Formats: sequence, structure tokens, C-alpha cells
Amino acid sequence: MKTIVLLIALLTVSTINAQTAFEKGMTQAFDLWGDKKPDKAINLFERIAKAEKENWLPYYYAAQVHIITTFMIKDAEEIESRLIKAQNFLNEAKTFSKENAEILIMEALLNTAYVAYNPSVYGMTHSAKVEELYQKAKVLEPENPRAILYHAEWKMGSAKFWGKDPKAFCPEIEKAILYFEKETLTEPFYPRWGMDQVERIQKNCN
Amino acid sequence: MKLTFTITFTLLVLFTHAQTAITGKVTDNKGIPITGANIYLDGTYDGSSSNEHGDFSFSTTQNGQQTLIISFLSFETYTLSKDVTEMSNLKVSLKEDVNSLGSVILNAGTFSAGDNSKASVLNPLDIVTTAGAAGDYIGAFQTLPGTSNVAEDGRLFVRGGDANETNIYIDGLRVFQPFAATTNNIPTRGRFSPFLFKGTNFSTGGYSAEYGDALSSVLLLNTIDEPEQEKTDLSFISVGLGIGNTQKWKKNSLSVNAFYLNLKPYQEIISQRVDWIKPFESFSGETVYRHKFNNGLLKIYGGLSYTDFELNQEDINVPEGVNFALRNRNLYLNSSYQGSLGNDWKITSGVSFANDDNDIKVISTDVDNQENSFHFKLKLKKRFSNRFKLNFGAEQFINTFSEEARTSTPENFKSSFDNNSTAAFTEANIFFSKKLAMQIGVRGVHNTLLDYTKVSPRASLAYKTSSKSQISLAYGDFYQAPSQEVLRYETDLDPEKSSHYILNYLYQNNGRTFRAEGYYKSYQSLIKFDTEIPEFNSLYSNQGDGYAAGLDIFWRDNKSIKNLEYWASYSYLNTERDYQNYPNRATPNFAGEHNLSLVTKYWVNDWKSLISTTYNFASGRPYNDPNTGIFQNQKTRTYNALNFSWAYLISQQKILYLSVSNVLGFDNVFNYQYSNTPDSNGTFARRPIRPNADRFFIVGFFWTISDNKTDNQLDNL
Repeated sequence: MKTIVLLIALLTVSTINAQTAFEKGMTQAFDLWGDKKPDKAINLFERIAKAEKENWLPYYYAAQVHIITTFMIKDAEEIESRLIKAQNFLNEAKTFSKENAEILIMEALLNTAYVAYNPSVYGMTHSAKVEELYQKAKVLEPENPRAILYHAEWKMGSAKFWGKDPKAFCPEIEKAILYFEKETLTEPFYPRWGMDQVERIQKNCN
Repeated sequence: MKLTFTITFTLLVLFTHAQTAITGKVTDNKGIPITGANIYLDGTYDGSSSNEHGDFSFSTTQNGQQTLIISFLSFETYTLSKDVTEMSNLKVSLKEDVNSLGSVILNAGTFSAGDNSKASVLNPLDIVTTAGAAGDYIGAFQTLPGTSNVAEDGRLFVRGGDANETNIYIDGLRVFQPFAATTNNIPTRGRFSPFLFKGTNFSTGGYSAEYGDALSSVLLLNTIDEPEQEKTDLSFISVGLGIGNTQKWKKNSLSVNAFYLNLKPYQEIISQRVDWIKPFESFSGETVYRHKFNNGLLKIYGGLSYTDFELNQEDINVPEGVNFALRNRNLYLNSSYQGSLGNDWKITSGVSFANDDNDIKVISTDVDNQENSFHFKLKLKKRFSNRFKLNFGAEQFINTFSEEARTSTPENFKSSFDNNSTAAFTEANIFFSKKLAMQIGVRGVHNTLLDYTKVSPRASLAYKTSSKSQISLAYGDFYQAPSQEVLRYETDLDPEKSSHYILNYLYQNNGRTFRAEGYYKSYQSLIKFDTEIPEFNSLYSNQGDGYAAGLDIFWRDNKSIKNLEYWASYSYLNTERDYQNYPNRATPNFAGEHNLSLVTKYWVNDWKSLISTTYNFASGRPYNDPNTGIFQNQKTRTYNALNFSWAYLISQQKILYLSVSNVLGFDNVFNYQYSNTPDSNGTFARRPIRPNADRFFIVGFFWTISDNKTDNQLDNL
């Protein structure tokens, strides 16, 4: 009897072990990204995604690292191939999690990256897409702080371009801060980023 | 003791799995190390990235047979199934992915416009913002090399071919009447709204075996798969009004457009060289429905247009002028399905149908004609690997035409024909490497009206000479049935034939494109007849022939000057043909020797304005002067036009637009019409054929209302 109990206990340890492999891997991938090794981070996220089979999170973060990286590089071919790759990751993520506001927000950022890199080619088509994606995300999760914050930044950008006052969207940022503070972690590694960007975006309000 | 043993054993199983080291090196096919490749055992957490020497190493607790995967951007993914103990000191060379960016492209003869093709030379916005095009998608293509300036016609004249030698396709299906109905010397426009299309391929020669019945060129238009957003578009233009609406729901979307055009108010203000009795009036409506299936996409397009005008045409042989009235009704339906059948098979299938009805009055003759055309196509594509793909398909064309002419005499004159043809094609795409690719195909066609069967080979080859440049070659034979004007009177004829030989050089570097293409085209079996125009008692034969040779140069630069995009096209054309009623080989009136276009688009940020100019130059066009003994040996003066347009963005969704063609008012002459009989001095009098007006003005206001925007405003209240 004792033996059986012990065996069960030890096997439980073993399953916890398997769970922590995911957590360990994810933590390690974030560390690699933090250490400015984006490609190693992407590779690790991709490996976790392949091993986990039905988890959208590693695909989501692999896409995010690609997208954020394009904001810092200039080579057109590299930007295009990273954005294509990021879109593929998001498409994978969507197959495991439909109607997910976080994925839509990431897709809006991806389309923003296209506009930022080549406005004359992508400006007209992708701007409409960005707007639509934020709208959809807000319908799914009206209190998602990332949707509110990044949508406000997008609208501030276009207000500035049209010679209008970007301050009109400052109340949105206040709203985002409120929701960031209310945000709780429901599952490990669920997207919670963005609070640190508030200050940068709020500069438009001074 | 027993317990201790169990614990020890279990712990051993759990924590001291045997560790196996997996090591190796990743290179490309030339042995150059690949840094950052992703290496892992499939289905596990065990893996690593390769370092700057291409080396990788990691340990795994897995044992037995496992699958090692190595993936890297722009290379094909490598897999290896082996026992883990044998996975050490691996030497892996990855194969280049020939589908990635930077691969060679098969582009001889082709210009593509779209935002996702590397071969693109124009983007979709270019088509609407090119000055002089006035929103007509054909206008933008007329600034590309290989086309001749024939401003009084409005259609595409490609490499010494007349406008009938170019066919237009939407989503792979034939468009039978792509241009608005018109008459001599009144330029026509494309029937379709430029915003329907996401990408276009304009082939000026050597095109794929999938397309036939065109001696010179095909223009392939692809409609949008999914509209970006729900919106309503309103346009108020000095010559008409337009409205459009797009709705999206679940896996469906529906777009509806309507446009009303009336030139009467405009022509009352701006004087015209043409004596309009009833100025040009047209109404057109279009609708597109799209539905996404899990494995495919269905698109249904329907367009209906109605055109009406009457004018008195100047004619040197008819002092009082020729009265001409036309009423045209055109219905076009196009339905296509593209989908995947699994196992790397793809299907493209569709049907197009057109009904064209004309009611024409020329002086006292009434002509009614009706044409029904039908195209069915089925194409399958199998991807055997990234390096080898095969397309094959079949298509059926059914065309019926009937006409009845009534004059004051009691006898009515009727003519009609049924022109049906069946074609089959196959084509293989072979990538030998990222640098060398080939496309080879063959097309067979059988025409039941003329009872002929013809087989035409097509081939193209491309080789990448450096990371930024490539050369390509293309060859093809092309057959085309004689035109409707001939077929209604004579069917004992062969098709006309042309052969194309093309050599292309392309250089692309960071926003700059240089393209040079030399070609030779031979014409055989061109239709000849012995009267001024085809008539029921003319003598017809296939004894015409000819050639066209030339050089097309294209340069585009989006980078050198901030906010300025420009392109320049130059075409040199040397062509002669003996066809129709020509007494001998000569250069036709539509084929000028030199054509030049310079298109600029300058974005003025402070004014929120896009200012575009297009300058067109064409050397004198050949014409025939019966006062001289030699056929077609005179040349008109050179053609010049500077077009200007200004789009002012009032806000993100409101645009004010002004366009003026031929701002400087050059006095252009296209051709001369000579009197049929000499005057008392024995000379033939003439009159110049000139534009209807030297300048054309358009003022427009375009307003887009999208749900997004309304939503935004509500949010802010």
C-alpha cells in the first residue's frame, strides 16, 4: 500500500516536472530575448510550440519577437521575411485559440510594422486593417489595456499626421492604466505586457 | 528494504534518464555556416540554435528512434529520423527554399503590379494616382514600355500589335468586352473600377500556356480576396457621380458599386471639336460577392453597364458629316473558385459570361447586333516539391454573334456566326536552384467554326546573375482567330499567328528598378481583304505577314529623392506588316517608332497633397498620303502631352482631386483622312484627326465613410 502511495506521489512529481518544462522553457526564452538574443528566443518559443502541440502562447511570443525586431532593423528583405514569419506564427496561434483579443492586437502591431516600414506601399491597405483589428479586439475584450493603449497610440499617430491634436486620445491612456492595474494573471505566461509603454505614449499628452 | 528499493528505482527512472549528446554543424549548400538555425527533436523540449560557426550541441533524455528537425528562414526544413545515439557529429547542408524572397523570378515579358510580388513594378495605388490615367486602370499601363501611344483609341497597343491583339482576364477568366462602347477617335475607358483589383500582371509577350487567342499581349487582373473593412464610398466628379458600399459578415463579403457618367454639362462649358448631338451618358453597376470556405474561396462578380450617345462625325468625303448614334448594354458575369484539394493539389475553376447588345445608327442605316460569349475553365495544380510544380487544365469558349442591318431598301441584311473553341494546356515550373528556373508549357486549341487545330509551345528561363540582377528569356507561339468583322462574312480561314523571342534584364536594388527587354516578334497568316473595310463580298485570305522588333527600357526610383517616386519608360519599335487592305508591307498608323513616358508623384507633407505629372512623348506616326506614290510613307508631327493631377487629402477619409490632361495645350495630330477623289488640281484634300479637345479637366471629391470611423467618433463623445 505504502509503495503504491509513494509511487503515485512520485509520478505526480514527474507530471509537475513536465509542466515546469514548459515554464522553464518559456522563462528561458524570455531571458534570451532580454539578453538581446531575439533569434535564439524565437527558436526556443518555436520549439516549445512544436512540443506543446496545442498551446497558442509560444507561437504568439515568437511572432511578437519578430515584430518588435523589425522596428529596429532597416534591411527591407529581412523586415519582409520576419513579418511573413510572424504572420505564419500568428496563424498557427489562431488555430488553437479562436476569437482571441491578444492575437488580434498582435496582428494589429504586425500590420503597423508594415505601414511603418513602407508607408507608400502598405499605408493605404494595411492602415484599414490595423483599425479593424483593434476594433475587433475591443469588442471581444472591452477592458483589454493593450488594445486601448495601442489603439490610442495608433490614433494619435494618425491625428498628428493630419495636423490634429493627439491629446484627444489621452483619456484613453488613463483608461488603459486603470485596466492595467486591474489586470490579474489567470494563467502562466498569459500576455500582460505593455504597462511600461504608457510613459512613452503619454509624452504626446504633455 | 523493499520500499527503499522502489524509491531508488523510481527516482532513477525519473531523474537519471540517460543523457545523449546531439551535436553537429549546419551549412548551406556551399559549405558556409548557418547561424541561428533552429535544431530540435520533434515533439520534445530538447533543442538549440546553431552558433556563428554553424555548430550546435544539446543533450536529450530521449532514447531510441527520434526525428531531428533543422529549420531556418529561407531554407527548406531538414528532417532526420535516426536513433539518438547516432546523432552526433552530424554534417547537415540545408537546401535553399526556392520560394523565399530573393529567388529568381520568371518575368520575361511581364510587368506585375501588386503588393506582395517581388516582381512588382507598380503598386495598386499607382494605378489610380498616375496623372493622365483619370482613374482608368488601363491608363497606368499605357505609361509602361512596350505600349504605343494611341491616345485617340484608349486601348492597349502592344509591340506593334493592334488593340485586338491584347486580351484581358479577370481571375483567370476572359473578359469579352473590357472597354466601354465607343466610336472612331473617341477614346474609350476600361469598364471596371480600379479598386476591385489587388494585383495585375501585364504581359507584353511570351506569356503562359494558360492563355491563348491573343497575338501580342494579355492583361491579367485579380480581384481582392477579402476587403479590408466595411465602408461606403461616395464620389462626386465633374462628369458624374459614384457610390459604393462594402459589407462583411462571417465568411462573406459583398461590395456594390454604381457610377453615373454624363458629359453634357462638361461639354457645354468646354468647347469640343466634335459635334455632339447627345453627349456621352453611361450608367454602370458592379457587385462582387466573396465567400470563404475552409479550403477555398468563391468569388462572384456581376457588372451591368448602359451607354448612350449620338454625334455628327466630321468626314472629308461627307460635307454634312456622318450621323452616328450608339446604345450599348453590356452584362458581364464572372464566377471563380480557388481551393486546395489536399496533398498539394490545387484547383481553380470558373465561368464567365457576357451579353453585349448594340443598337447603332449610321446616317440612315440601323444596325442591331448581339453577342453572347461564354468561357469555362478548369485548372489543376500539383506541387510535387518546392522545385517542381505542374499545372494543367482545359477551357471551352462559346461565342455567338448576330447582326441585322436595316436601310431604306426593303431588304434587311443579316449576318451571324457561332465561334466555339476548346483548348487544353499544361505547364511545368522547375526550379533547379534559387538562381535558375524554367517554365515550359504547351497549349492546344481546336476551333469548330474555322475547323483548325493548333499546338503552340511556350517556354521561359530565368537566371540570377547576382543578388540584385537577373536575365531571362522567353519564347512562344500564339494563335488568334480572325476578328468578328471578318468572321461574320468569311469562315474559310486559318488563325493568325505570331512568335515571340524575348530577352530580359532586370536589376532591383532597394527601391530602384531597372529593366531592359529586347524582343523580336514575327507575324504569319495575317488576314487580308481587298476592300476598304471587311464586306460580305470582299476577297479574304491569310496571306499577310509582318514583324516587330524593339527595345523596352524601364527605370523606377522611389528612394533617391525624399517623397518623390518616379518612373521612366522608353520603347523603341521597328515594325512592318502586310495585312487588311495594305498593298505591301508598311508600318501601321498606330505604331510610332519612339515612345517615352515620365511619371512623377510627389508627396507634399505640409499640404497633405500628392502631386502627379505624366509626360508623354511619341515620335511621328506613319500615315498614308495618296498624293505621293508610296503607301504609308508620311509621318505626323511628334506627340507631346503633359498631364497633371493633384490629390488633396482634406482628412483621412476625404479627398479633393483635380486633374488636367495636356496642361500645355500641345496641338497633337494622330492621323490624316484624305478625300476619296482628287480635286480639280488633281490633289487629294485632307483633314487632320485631332483630339476632341486639347485639354480635359476633372474635379472630384471622394468621401469614404467607414464603420470604424463612426465608431471612433462615438468613442470620443
